[in-house]
Amino acid sequence: MELRRYILKRLVQITIIFFVILTVLFLLFRLAPGDPVSRMVDPDMTPEDAEQLIHQLGLDKPLGIQYLVYLKNFFTGHFGISFHYGEPVVDVIWNRLPNTILLFTTSIILSALVGIFLGKIASWHKGEKTDSVMTIGALVTHTLFLPWLALILIWVFGYKLGWFPINGMISEEVWLDPDAGFIAKGLDIGYHMILPLTTLFLIHFGAYLLIMRSSMLETLKEDYILTARAKGLEEKDIRDRHAAPNAALPVVTSVGLSLAFSINGGALTETVFTWPGIGRELVFSVSQNDYPLAQASFLLIAIVVLISNLVVDVLYAYLDPRIRY
Amino acid sequence: MAEETFRTETKGMERYPGLTAFLEGWGIFRQSLLGKIGLVLLIMFALMALCSYIPPLIDPMYNPMTGVDPVITCSTGPSRAHWLGTDFMGRDILSQLLAGARVAFMVGVSAAFMSIVLGTAIGMTAGYMGRFMDTFLMRLADMIMVMPTLLVVLILAAVFGQLNIWTIVLIIALFRWPGVSRIIRGQTLSLKQRPFIEAAKVAGASHVRIIFRHIMPNVLPLAFLFMTFRVTSAIIIEAALAFLGFGDPGTVSWGMMLQWVWKTGHMFKAPYWLLPPGICISLITLSFYMLGRAMDEVLDPRLRKEDQTD
Repeated sequence: MELRRYILKRLVQITIIFFVILTVLFLLFRLAPGDPVSRMVDPDMTPEDAEQLIHQLGLDKPLGIQYLVYLKNFFTGHFGISFHYGEPVVDVIWNRLPNTILLFTTSIILSALVGIFLGKIASWHKGEKTDSVMTIGALVTHTLFLPWLALILIWVFGYKLGWFPINGMISEEVWLDPDAGFIAKGLDIGYHMILPLTTLFLIHFGAYLLIMRSSMLETLKEDYILTARAKGLEEKDIRDRHAAPNAALPVVTSVGLSLAFSINGGALTETVFTWPGIGRELVFSVSQNDYPLAQASFLLIAIVVLISNLVVDVLYAYLDPRIRY
Repeated sequence: MAEETFRTETKGMERYPGLTAFLEGWGIFRQSLLGKIGLVLLIMFALMALCSYIPPLIDPMYNPMTGVDPVITCSTGPSRAHWLGTDFMGRDILSQLLAGARVAFMVGVSAAFMSIVLGTAIGMTAGYMGRFMDTFLMRLADMIMVMPTLLVVLILAAVFGQLNIWTIVLIIALFRWPGVSRIIRGQTLSLKQRPFIEAAKVAGASHVRIIFRHIMPNVLPLAFLFMTFRVTSAIIIEAALAFLGFGDPGTVSWGMMLQWVWKTGHMFKAPYWLLPPGICISLITLSFYMLGRAMDEVLDPRLRKEDQTD
């Protein structure tokens, strides 16, 4: 019951935040210096098409009405026509969304799990060599400059050794082959995902490791750990079943706090590996002055950020019965 | 031993709480290995930034942006005239790298300073005023905190066109204050309950005076220790932006150098050009990060105790 109220409260907050973002973006694109029409309508369009689009986007009306039209268009999925692709923006980004979610979710879950596991080991061997190697390794990989790491991985594993594909998400031979089944296609995507995933993983797991380590050290001082020891439980049981689950909670929070950071990293990774996701689409559209696409990609990313935040919050509240806001 | 010397140093300095706090912090900081490594690395980068003024004086062809070696027209490897080689136009990579250190410090420190000032002012106001002001400012902080700053700068670049380096710094500062303001708010909330604030109120001091005269001196050391983390994120955001091709075309930053390597397709051919800027960005981030962790120990007595039991 309490949990449901908490989720409801967060939902309301998130909706408000989203409306603020929506409004700020509207004002930005309409009131910034320059002509808003040229920003939303492709200059190469035929006059009739342009006329129709201007009408559909409400650009011929006063600002207040424009805003209402903008909101209505948003909820009915009309974001205008992409200058570069010449098709409705919503179709372009809708196709990119699953790719981004695939890469993003896999990388976060993988790095959090590995980070939690290694952090647990490091804290258990506190002060020993294992611990220092892990801590320093985590610090170093975490602070590597992401696009550079991506380039190095491409250079070494893609070019020198030639083990992995270095761009895109699929290879055409597999996808054009009528005999290729679902599994072959899936494996093909997985094969293309290895390098981008490694990049994101290397950057992120260190942060989780460090948090898990210090949280674990805190937890091991708790009274119930002493109790468990006094009961004569196996050290391994104390570590894995009594201490680790509680110690992992701050990691969940930090996943939430570092989401913005991960999204930035995701956009950079997608760009370097030409992974067809929304982040890359945003970077590309900005460099091409494809305003409608840029606006819509940004909105979609904002939605992804807000929803992931909600998921993390709910997960946290669910995992920790002490937390009921 | 170290403890004792700093005790004697701080004697009679109770009048300057900021200074005492600083010296006390320094005493603890000195014992942290990570902090020392971070500091050494940082000094190295500072020297690089200082040295960046030298090459252009030797010969105009060493100017990082405009200097072109007249005999070289494509990227060449390290040689006696160009210790780290040249880029695709025949510009010297070493002098670009040195200039990059200067830009990194400039961007990092100024963005961090601005966001700290902003964060401190907002945090103190929220904590001290309470009620509506507090709720409003903290919700605003929540909102800004979840936005990926790099992409925000990107969308602004889409609307306003090419951004110059100071605009980028300003935007970074405007979007990176929430973390600081939360901590300062917490600190202010506990300070507010102290008798000396009560006394100031009774004596008829205005809100502004209480905030700036009585609360600010007490939260400032904390705020400045937090600058290290902000410096890192500012440097990374600027580098990433430059890497994507939206940096200030008039400045040579490390991100810009990487963008040149990448965009001109030299990343498979010119390791002497690909490696240095990336190593520099990563190392400067690492050094500020280590410094930050050492600062954490200074700020958080629990971490300190834990380390002393080893």
